[in-house]
Amino acid sequence: MISTERQVVLEVRGLGKLFGDQDPGAVVRTGPELGTAKDPQGNTVVAAWDVDFEVAAGEAFGVIGESGSGKSTVMRMIAGDVTASAGTVRLRKRDRSRVDLLGLTPSERRALRIDELSIVHQDPADGLDLRVTAGGNIADPLTAAGWRNFGQIRERAAELLTRTEVPLDRMDDLVKTFSGGMKQRVQLARALANNPPLVLFDEPTTGLDASVAAGVLDLIRDLIESLGIAAVVVSHDFAVIEMLTSRCMVMQHGRMVEQGVTDQLLEDPIAPYTQRLVAAARA
Amino acid sequence: MSVLSIRDLRKHFVLHNVGGRRVDALHGIDLDVEAGEHVALAGSSGAGKSTLLKCVYRTDLPTAGTVIVDTDDGPVDVTALADADLVTLRGRAFGYVSQFLRAEPRRGALEIVARAGQARGMDRDEALDAAASALGRLGIDESLWDVYASVLSGGEKQRVNLAAGTISPPRLLLLDEPVSALDPSNRDAALDLIADLTDQGVAVLGVFHDLDAMRRLASRVVLMRDGRIDRVGPPDVVLDELTGVAR
Repeated sequence: MISTERQVVLEVRGLGKLFGDQDPGAVVRTGPELGTAKDPQGNTVVAAWDVDFEVAAGEAFGVIGESGSGKSTVMRMIAGDVTASAGTVRLRKRDRSRVDLLGLTPSERRALRIDELSIVHQDPADGLDLRVTAGGNIADPLTAAGWRNFGQIRERAAELLTRTEVPLDRMDDLVKTFSGGMKQRVQLARALANNPPLVLFDEPTTGLDASVAAGVLDLIRDLIESLGIAAVVVSHDFAVIEMLTSRCMVMQHGRMVEQGVTDQLLEDPIAPYTQRLVAAARA
Repeated sequence: MSVLSIRDLRKHFVLHNVGGRRVDALHGIDLDVEAGEHVALAGSSGAGKSTLLKCVYRTDLPTAGTVIVDTDDGPVDVTALADADLVTLRGRAFGYVSQFLRAEPRRGALEIVARAGQARGMDRDEALDAAASALGRLGIDESLWDVYASVLSGGEKQRVNLAAGTISPPRLLLLDEPVSALDPSNRDAALDLIADLTDQGVAVLGVFHDLDAMRRLASRVVLMRDGRIDRVGPPDVVLDELTGVAR
């Protein structure tokens, strides 16, 4: 054992999701070896099963997979947008108490999404109101968390925009007038408004130009380290995973096919599927 | 106790993209490296030198055997360590310097080196001072310290890499051709730095293609052939044999 002050923020154990018929027998009839997530004998789709991982403060964990692999389902279960069929998802909150995210009432979940857990979406339109100013978008989670003083809200919004490298003279411009990279920075500022211990990143730079993406990735990495955020990064792009994460897992047909230290997983992948993915990405 | 004790280390690659072909890269390696000792791995390309380094760092996943490292928390088997613990141990106790710097897009040389120092427990100011002195010693002009490392020349990147790998000396330093891109005077400065670290008690396991560097730095030379250790001895003896064979 290595002594460490590592503080586990998110602990996912045995997480699973069945869509359609809820036939648990479908689990043994699906998966990577069988080449499908859809039960050949019924109408159950095993979108995710037996997913296990944990993420500590200041650490980013990557989830790699093609579309349909189950990576988005895993993220949406953690966020509470999809009800899980099995497993536990434990979060260490800002006040250090621990809570099972799967057992929350709808109002508890809404409160959690304001204070403890943010999502940075691929499409800024999913995380921002484009018809509102940058400042207004950031004020929204702050007021939801109980901030009332206009001056303090402006001050906090300015602080966050500075942190995410958005020029302050754009604070009162409508977000729809911003470039793609700038929108992503505003989305980051909004996601960080209430200092959440956990941030989920869903393809945070897909769709941006390479040079813009590199800048946003570097910013995300700095924020994770300096703010001690626990991050889950879902992406099909190995460059993103390599840049942001220290550990990651690969998903296929709803299952985890491999989990490891990121440089090892990319340099010496063991599972046949991971070898194919890496070879394709490097080609 | 040795800083590094490798026992019966084996590595097979199974290439699923090439019909499941199996490549046996290491066949049962036994090797110890003591504090203050520089062990140089010699041998032709494909002998398994880099794979051995990567298995110690666990960039390559060993197939069997143990890699015991003596840490502040006592002996630890790198092959059996949980992923998160491995990440912590690498940052704290291992320096790994390869031929290439995988530079992060928007980070300057001083910042890269200082962060490596912080990962090994230095505070920010201490790390910045040590980074500045390491870059200075390796001949990186001060005007380049805050330039994004991704735009530096190959030789400059390699020196940034070496500075990051050796700052706040790690217990174990793994070197894979760390001076291959350097001109003679910069190469000299780099080799001096490595020699000083050995004198300070760092255990070094290194791969150098040039025999001169090995003669200058190595306490022992381990000659590898086809994934096995063929010969171990003092640099003069083993390298003379090696050049004799080459001639």
